[in-house]
Amino acid sequence: MISSLRLPRQLRLDLPLRRDASGRFLPWIIALMVYLAAMGGIGLIWLADMLSQWDASLASTLTLQVPSDTSQPRIEMTLHTLRQTNGVVSTRLLQPDETAKLLEPWLGNTVAASDLPLPRLIDVQVDPQATIDYDALRKQLDSIVPNAQLDNNRSWLVGVRAFALRVEGVITAGVVVVTVLIIAIIVFAARIGLAIHRSVIELLHLLGAQDSYIARQFQVHALTLGLRGGIIGAIAAAVTVMVLVPAAHMLELPAPITGYGLLDWRVWVLLVATGIAAGAVAMVTARITVLRQLARMP
Amino acid sequence: MVRLENVGKRYGADAEILHDVSLTLDTGGFYFLTGVSGAGKTTLLKIIYLAEPPSRGVVTLFDTNASTADRVTHTSLRRRIGIVFQDFRLVDHLSVRDNVALPLRIAGAPEREIRENVPELLGWMGLEDKLDFRPATLSGGEQQRVAIARAIVRRPDLLIADEPTGNVDDEIAMLLVRVFERINKLGTTVLIATHDVAFARQFAHRRYHLDRGALSMPAENVAAQ
Repeated sequence: MISSLRLPRQLRLDLPLRRDASGRFLPWIIALMVYLAAMGGIGLIWLADMLSQWDASLASTLTLQVPSDTSQPRIEMTLHTLRQTNGVVSTRLLQPDETAKLLEPWLGNTVAASDLPLPRLIDVQVDPQATIDYDALRKQLDSIVPNAQLDNNRSWLVGVRAFALRVEGVITAGVVVVTVLIIAIIVFAARIGLAIHRSVIELLHLLGAQDSYIARQFQVHALTLGLRGGIIGAIAAAVTVMVLVPAAHMLELPAPITGYGLLDWRVWVLLVATGIAAGAVAMVTARITVLRQLARMP
Repeated sequence: MVRLENVGKRYGADAEILHDVSLTLDTGGFYFLTGVSGAGKTTLLKIIYLAEPPSRGVVTLFDTNASTADRVTHTSLRRRIGIVFQDFRLVDHLSVRDNVALPLRIAGAPEREIRENVPELLGWMGLEDKLDFRPATLSGGEQQRVAIARAIVRRPDLLIADEPTGNVDDEIAMLLVRVFERINKLGTTVLIATHDVAFARQFAHRRYHLDRGALSMPAENVAAQ
């Protein structure tokens, strides 16, 4: 027979908390919460990566549209003007079939590009560090090709950033809600535990136990359940990432989602931190709840 | 060691269970508390071992006014008291060894000391072959010995036993009192509550008697003193 005397003192439970029903369902509820929080956190990482990648690529790219009926000499003059502009690194005139290719997802490949009055597109690479006077450049280009449209993507990027900010807010709120739910569940379980084991708790008090001695039993138990749930939830999130990343590759989704996946150290840090945080939140919540309740006992 | 002055106890709006109880237990003394069932013996013991506060009066334990003391002081006072409960109150899921070790662990005694002292004490109580048994598998008499072992393992200054002889035959009851006398000789003050006045009279120890909440000291105490 294995004597419980061999257990480390900090892990020994005088109260039969491990037999409680809460020990069976609590880790699974915490696992679900941790899974949601971890996926939210991974979503935040991907979102931040996506924004910074778009920022980096769009800050160095301009697109100039000139009407389809613009003559070749005017296009050449436009290209020359652009190359002379301080901060412009290179220019490239897209061929009509390249432009048609860009429209293929919307128009399909049955429509001949030559039948459509497609504008000519000029891809302009700029030095992101350079300061370009876009108003002056627009006026200059307009004098060569009226109705030429210079798009520096900024208005689009501002919209995307505002959207991303809202998504971040929603995910953060979700993580807060998950944390509050874990706290509420642990408070509920601790109160039930106190009620179930009231007679043994009274006995421990009469044998000279301080409130902290009894609270330690609950916090060790809560830590165990929290960590168990945290590990299950973190593993489930890791599996989800493993499944999502190849699927994202197949769908040709943006780079961060199709990127490193589980090879990204930040994902690992997040998974480990979320699992540990679940245990820590459960432990601290149990301790505070039990100490408050015990203070009301004689 | 223990002094109660004009202690009264009532629960809510009910009639008073104890009226103006005044009692003194000297250090190293051996006392019986007698009274019929319902006389208030258990309530009085609970007040002494700080499970219940008195409704009025002053309780002094080990020169400390327990009536005005805070929770932390109560805890340190309780650690100087060993209690043998009427229903034993052993923890079901713990082994005999761990039940007896509880007061030591609560007091923060080193595990090495627990490993040495607990089996030795249980051997002294005749339970050396029951160390890893659960209380539910023991007989009533064995459970009572475990409860006594748990009460004395920390060598308390005061040992309180509530009806320890209530459910055993006369021979075992006599043996139990002899055990308490041996503990008393080691310097522990002993207070035993029993409904059996005739049994308590067999011993030359001082006796308090409770009758419907009123405490008195019968005349035979003069002889005991």
